[in-house]
Amino acid sequence: MRLKDRTKGALTIFNIVQVTLKGIFRDRVFHGIIMVALVIPLVPVISQLSMRQVTELSITLALSLISFIMLLLAVFLGGTSIWKDMERRYTFSVLSLPLNRTSYLLGRFAGIALFMLLTALLLGCVALATVWFVSGGYPPDRPVAWMNIAFAVFFDALKYILLVAIAVLFSTISTSFFLPIFGTISIFLVGNATQQVYEYVNSPAGQTLPLFARKCATGLYYILPNFSAFDLKVNAVYGLPLTFDGIALTLGYVFVYTLIVLSIAATLFARREMK
Amino acid sequence: MRGFSNRTAIGLKRYSFVIIPLIICYVSLIIPFAAYMRHKPLVEKLGYFPRVEVMQLVSADQKQLVGAALVMKVLMYYGGLVENNQAKLAVPPDYPAMSRIIHAAVKLDPYNMDAYYFAQSILVWDVRQLKIANDLLEYGMKYRTWDWYLPFFAGFNYAYFLKDYQHAAKYYMQAGKLTGQPLFVTLAGRYLHEAGETGLAISYLSTMAKGARNAAIKETYTVRLHALQAVRSIESARDAYRQTFGHLPASLEELMQEGYLKELPKDPYGGRFYMEPDGKVETTSKFAFGKKGE
Repeated sequence: MRLKDRTKGALTIFNIVQVTLKGIFRDRVFHGIIMVALVIPLVPVISQLSMRQVTELSITLALSLISFIMLLLAVFLGGTSIWKDMERRYTFSVLSLPLNRTSYLLGRFAGIALFMLLTALLLGCVALATVWFVSGGYPPDRPVAWMNIAFAVFFDALKYILLVAIAVLFSTISTSFFLPIFGTISIFLVGNATQQVYEYVNSPAGQTLPLFARKCATGLYYILPNFSAFDLKVNAVYGLPLTFDGIALTLGYVFVYTLIVLSIAATLFARREMK
Repeated sequence: MRGFSNRTAIGLKRYSFVIIPLIICYVSLIIPFAAYMRHKPLVEKLGYFPRVEVMQLVSADQKQLVGAALVMKVLMYYGGLVENNQAKLAVPPDYPAMSRIIHAAVKLDPYNMDAYYFAQSILVWDVRQLKIANDLLEYGMKYRTWDWYLPFFAGFNYAYFLKDYQHAAKYYMQAGKLTGQPLFVTLAGRYLHEAGETGLAISYLSTMAKGARNAAIKETYTVRLHALQAVRSIESARDAYRQTFGHLPASLEELMQEGYLKELPKDPYGGRFYMEPDGKVETTSKFAFGKKGE
């Protein structure tokens, strides 16, 4: 009996994932965001402005654009997906089905996460082709590190999947879209700054700060997400070597952190009153 | 669809008495507006930049992009000045602001080669801020460990401007190790003392000009290169004269009278070449535009 329930649960998560993916492809916001990708063909033109590093600049521009598109997708899809369901009272009809709230939440998250990976794959291929095109005309001083570019796009996708989890967490406690959208953007900015703040606080210059502020900053450093670890742009652009330890630790970090955020979201969502 | 266009037509008709005057206002404004923007003081155009710490925090995961954008901004500003004056900088560029922005750019992306290259181009020749330039190159060498250009620049700065041949040799050696090219090893040893500074500068400038992709930068290098080639032709005439007569010529005119120099080469900066009592060839332009007669 229990086993049967579980299979049913898995099936329904799969269904929600399917519905989510279909929904995204029909979404107008998605269409708008994907339009930004049309800028990629301009990359070779803009990178010619560089004096000494045309190919490097093309990699920078392509990766920056991909990161920006995925940020928009993570914030809007992650922040509005559940809110929209509730606004349309869609959740009532879904949750009246034999499906628990956790499965619904996880299904929504998994759908968006899968979509982020697909987007990364597609945009990553376009970026590689663009860089290949530029590097043919302006061979760089050092050979292009293709694997590093692929890794940079993949880790960007992982970073934004974690951000989607955070957006989903905000969606479970909010009644409007303000908190999911702006909360997620704030976490994104803070998460990119934590490493720098931590290093400053622990530098000789930071010793002038009050002890309490230093302790707070250090505490927050361990609690808040650290997005700097996912930023492999320097390695991709200038061909700096990646370390196995760094890659493995970051993968472990994103996996555990995302699961923690999702379990908190599921707990809060289960207890939420829906009127 | 037809209904929509009909409605649009009716709407246009109804509001045309507002829209048409507004369009006229816009057209009459845009021309003086564009003229104002064109003539806005250039220093203002470089704009205000926040502290680098703030930029580091705000640029999130786009540090390389922001770094590249800052370098571009300075380059466009400088390029604009050069183009407007056909390589004659009538309006003095805001060098401190340019230097500040370049330093901010390498704080954001310490690997950005454009920043080091441009800093070397402006800080060294135009403002002679050698300490700042060399510190910046040292900073870059910590990151771009594979790049021979940075020690090559530093070696040149020490040899040509600071006459510190010991330091220069160290950096030329470093550049030689990175490229494996014998040229740098030669530079590090014999060449530095024997070639004299004009030869040193010509070899440096030809390397820089060859790699310059930006038209404004290339132009400044080419002009300087031509000036130094002119100096070199005078110097070799002077040396030939000294070998024959055992003393320096009294003036460049004497070199021409004795047939060592066919004609006095032109200074591309608009100055006139002359000879110091110690035999050093100088020009009234001081190898810069707009300094004639100073």
